[in-house]
Amino acid sequence: MKWTSRFRCALICLGFVAIFSGFSFRLIYLQMVKHDEYAGLAAEKHVHKQIIHAERGSIVDANGDMLADNVPVQTVVADATLLNDKAAAVELVSRELKMPAAEVAEKLTGDRRYIVLQREVPAAVADTLRGKLRAQKLRGIYFEQDSTRVYPNGPMLCHVVGFTDFDHKGIDGVEATMDEYLRGQDGYRYVEHNRAGQEIVLYRGQERAARNGYQVQLTIDLNLQTIVENEIDAAIREYRPQKATIILMRAQTGEILAMANRPNFDLNQRSEAKPEQMKNRAIIDVMEPGSTFKIVAAAAALNEGRVHLDTTVFCENGLWNYGGRPLHDHKAYGELSVQDILVKSSNIGAAKLAIGLGEQKFYEYIRRFGFGERTGVELPGEIPGLLRPPQNWSKISITRIPMGHEIGVTALQMTTAMATIANDGKLVMPRIVKSVTGADGKAISTLSPVALRQVVSTQTAHQIGNALRGVVSDRGTAAAAAVPGFTIAGKTGTAQKVDPKGGYEHGKYVVSFSGYLPADHPEFIGLVVLDDAQTSKPELNYGGLVAGPIFSKIAEKAARYLDLQPHEEIRKAQPVARVALTNASHR
Amino acid sequence: MSRSRRKNWNAVNAASLARWIVLTAFLALTGLSYVYLTIQLYHLGDRRKALENELAGLRTQNDVASAQIAALTSRSALQRRLKEGYLKMIPISERNIVRLSVPIRSDSDDAVRPVVNQRPSR
Repeated sequence: MKWTSRFRCALICLGFVAIFSGFSFRLIYLQMVKHDEYAGLAAEKHVHKQIIHAERGSIVDANGDMLADNVPVQTVVADATLLNDKAAAVELVSRELKMPAAEVAEKLTGDRRYIVLQREVPAAVADTLRGKLRAQKLRGIYFEQDSTRVYPNGPMLCHVVGFTDFDHKGIDGVEATMDEYLRGQDGYRYVEHNRAGQEIVLYRGQERAARNGYQVQLTIDLNLQTIVENEIDAAIREYRPQKATIILMRAQTGEILAMANRPNFDLNQRSEAKPEQMKNRAIIDVMEPGSTFKIVAAAAALNEGRVHLDTTVFCENGLWNYGGRPLHDHKAYGELSVQDILVKSSNIGAAKLAIGLGEQKFYEYIRRFGFGERTGVELPGEIPGLLRPPQNWSKISITRIPMGHEIGVTALQMTTAMATIANDGKLVMPRIVKSVTGADGKAISTLSPVALRQVVSTQTAHQIGNALRGVVSDRGTAAAAAVPGFTIAGKTGTAQKVDPKGGYEHGKYVVSFSGYLPADHPEFIGLVVLDDAQTSKPELNYGGLVAGPIFSKIAEKAARYLDLQPHEEIRKAQPVARVALTNASHR
Repeated sequence: MSRSRRKNWNAVNAASLARWIVLTAFLALTGLSYVYLTIQLYHLGDRRKALENELAGLRTQNDVASAQIAALTSRSALQRRLKEGYLKMIPISERNIVRLSVPIRSDSDDAVRPVVNQRPSR
């Protein structure tokens, strides 16, 4: 073989062909066989999933006034693999976000790609930090749009609205029960960053837009709520009770118009609130209702036809020994009609009405009025109350339960029971959520009134209603609950406080008044409960004297706000008792 | 001399040359266009990002303003103002209220309410 120039040239060419063929095969191998593997590795390095946070839906009152809203804030996050100067980043971030440098440094250790440095950073602070990062050419720190929950009314309606945790999950109140509708759905976007950490929009990948949460409208009317809050504050100042609850409810629909409890807390400073302040006592606390519960015994007896409104019952002149235990009335009554048993609030009379019914039948009526079960209102933590079945009753239970002892009810249950009387005997489910609307303003869900059952006949309800008008007269126990210009039906309650150690606490009472107006066509029902009110004299600590006047003030203002027309005859300043009788004949 | 020189010259195929020039120019233009358009895409991407940021900023400002309005017009804020004396409200007495019609309750706030311009007897 001669190494001619031609041969050498061919050999070199062959060599080049071999080398480039090798390169080509390698390229094909990398591009086609190993494509997915290396593309994945590249994506892992440069692409990350950016969360697009959904905005939590707002909560508004019945008139559209804002109760819970969002304020935009930023979440500062870091990608430790992209940090070009960790020490400078730690120093700057800790200074601008007012975080301990050690904490920031600890968070930035390792090679994690998604580190939350601080949440809820105000937009102004985030802008400053962003500018300084840019000026110092620091990479690896990003900003994500987020929002925080604010409650413009602070402590007002705090137990109803509730609050969220740092992750925007509803924890209490409507925020918790309607969380599914309020929270929305986060979106995402796959983004690629260049070496400077800036997004390369051209390589933006798969994207799903966030769906913002729905707006929840409550049945609460802030104007009425303001009236109630002002009056409950005034009551707290005057009587210094341990606890207080006031509820206003629309009779026909069960819509809760206002609900206030004390103690309360500021929703915007909830971290400072004590557990005792955070309880919605209207649905969480049980109380012995006292004489307001007599409407159940009287309604049951009337509905069963055992008595008529004018049937007389001998009230043992104020002291009756039954089952070896004395039962007292606050005054010595002889013969009282069923109507007067309610008007005078006779314990003995109510007990005798229940005895006439029998334990089982009376228990059935208690259940039919909604006691012993949750009302179903859209608020978390509601309790069913305490109601023992008749087989667990003592011999004297049949005489104590009619006067509202040996039974535990919630304030909302008591309001609902009174609403049953106002609503022609129909038990309606109390509601606090009016509607749920989407971002386009279209209603996703509108909640309709739910009539659960006919508890007593319409006639019985009217009879009890007529009797309850007498309670708010100079003959009754709640003359102070009267509202000039309107007929009111209502019932007082004064129950000795239950001692957690057993028995009753001496000199401590839960006083209440539950009533509705106008008595002819009830527009709203109100319940006022004060636990352990401090009166100047112990004998003044009665539902009619303490809770009644509070109800009167609220009802007067509420009637004016709701534009209820005062009764003509009463406007001429008739005596209260005469008014009650005049209006009783209307039904 | 000139004849022999002419003999050594290769004849240029003008049509072929033109074809190659056009093809090369086309390829060059295509390449340049590709580069230009790619750069344009990057620029548009950056512009889009800038506009998105601007829009997000405006939305943020709007949301902050809305929240401030809600806070300043809330019942609590108004009551505070009332207490501080910035607002003055005088309750309307019953005798100063002229009722035009008997209020009719309706499920909808938009429902038409008949109005009677009759002053009720007092």
